[in-house]
Amino acid sequence: MPQSTTSLNKTMVYGPTKKLGIIRDTSIQPFGAKEETFQVRVSESAKKVNIRVDLSYQPRPGDVYPIHSVIRTLAMDSH
Amino acid sequence: MKGRATQRSNHRIIRRLRAIWTHQILRLQKVHGFRGILIMSMVCVFCIFISAAGASDQKARTLTELIAMFDSSSCKECHEEIHAQWETSHHARSIMGIFMDRYLQRGVLSVKNPDDATKKNFPCFKCHFPQLEYATDEVASEIAAAILGKDKATMKKLNINCLVCHNQKGVVHGRPERGMLYGTNSVSEHEDKRYKRVKASPIMKRPVMCGQCHGLGPNLEFEHPVQCATLYGSYLHAYVPSGGAKTCQECHMKDADHSCPPDFNKRGEVSARLKKALPMEVDTLVYKSQFTPGKIIPMLVVKTKITSKAGHRIPDG
Repeated sequence: MPQSTTSLNKTMVYGPTKKLGIIRDTSIQPFGAKEETFQVRVSESAKKVNIRVDLSYQPRPGDVYPIHSVIRTLAMDSH
Repeated sequence: MKGRATQRSNHRIIRRLRAIWTHQILRLQKVHGFRGILIMSMVCVFCIFISAAGASDQKARTLTELIAMFDSSSCKECHEEIHAQWETSHHARSIMGIFMDRYLQRGVLSVKNPDDATKKNFPCFKCHFPQLEYATDEVASEIAAAILGKDKATMKKLNINCLVCHNQKGVVHGRPERGMLYGTNSVSEHEDKRYKRVKASPIMKRPVMCGQCHGLGPNLEFEHPVQCATLYGSYLHAYVPSGGAKTCQECHMKDADHSCPPDFNKRGEVSARLKKALPMEVDTLVYKSQFTPGKIIPMLVVKTKITSKAGHRIPDG
C-alpha cells in the first residue's frame, strides 16, 4: 500500500515498522484460490497411511478458530 | 458589579458590530449600489442556513457533553430488539478489543500524561469513535485519562451507536440535517424528542455505507498515516469486478440483524461462517518412485485448494 509520506520528513521517526505496506499480503481475495502441494516420502514397510489436513484461522498465537478437518486413510500397496 | 461590567462589555461589542455592519452596507452601497446590499443579505442568509444545517455544529467540551450529544438510549424504547442486537455487536465495544485497548495504551501515538493528548493522538477514532470529530482537544485528554486509567465503564460508552450510522454517516454529501435521522425509509413523524423525522438514505442498503469505515487501507489524510481495514477496497477492486453481486448487508445484516456477525466471541459461529466462505478441497496421490535403480520409494502427495466465496479478502476488517 502506498504511504503519503516521502519518508524524508519527521514522520520517519516511526520507522519502517509502521509503514505497513512493506508487509506481504497473504490474505485470500474474493474468488481467489490458495493451492498448496505437500509431497512426503513414506516408509517402505508402510501398508496404510492416515492423513489429516486441518485449516484454521489464528488471529493471535494460540487463538485458534477451526475451519476444516479432513481425515483420509490411504493404502500404500494398491499402487 | 461583575454582572454590570459584563453587560457593559456586551453592549460595547454589539455597538461595535452594528458600526461594522452599517459601515459595510454603506461601503457596498457606495461601490455596488443596491446590488451590494442584496449580496450582503444573501451572504447573511447563507451563513444562517449553514449554521442551521449542521447536526452538531457546537463542539462538546467535556466527554460527558459528547456522550450526551450522541446518546442513543432513547432508541431502545421503540426499537428494543434491534438495540439488543446492537448491544451484542462489536460496534457496541469499538474501542474495547484487545488490539485497540493495547494500541491506545502503548501504541506509537499513545501518551503518558493524559493532558498531553489531543485529537491527533486518536486517528483510529475516525472509525472507532467518529463522534470525536464533534469535540475539542480537552475531550481527547479525558478519553486518554480513561484509557490510561483503564476506566472500562467510560470506555464502554465510546462506541459506534445508532446515531453514527443513522445520522452522522447516513448522508451522501455534507453534514446531516439537524434533528434528522437517516434510514431505509422515510418517516414524517418520528416519535423522538430530538430526532423528529427520518429521511430515506440512498446509501443505507449499499456497500458504501459500511465502506465509510471498513475501508480502503491507509488513511493518508492524517499527519501520521495509519494503516487500517482494507475490506471495502477488496470488495470494490476484487469482488465486484470478478462478478460478485452481493452487498455487505446481505451477508452481515441479513434481515436487518444489527448484531452484524461475525461476533468473534461466538467461536462456533465464526468457524461455521469461515467454513462456508472458504471451502477446501483435498486431493491425494500415492505413487512409487525409483530415484535409484532397483530402489522403490513409496511417496504420498497431498494437494489442498482453498477458494474464497467471501465478498472481501480474508482476513480483513
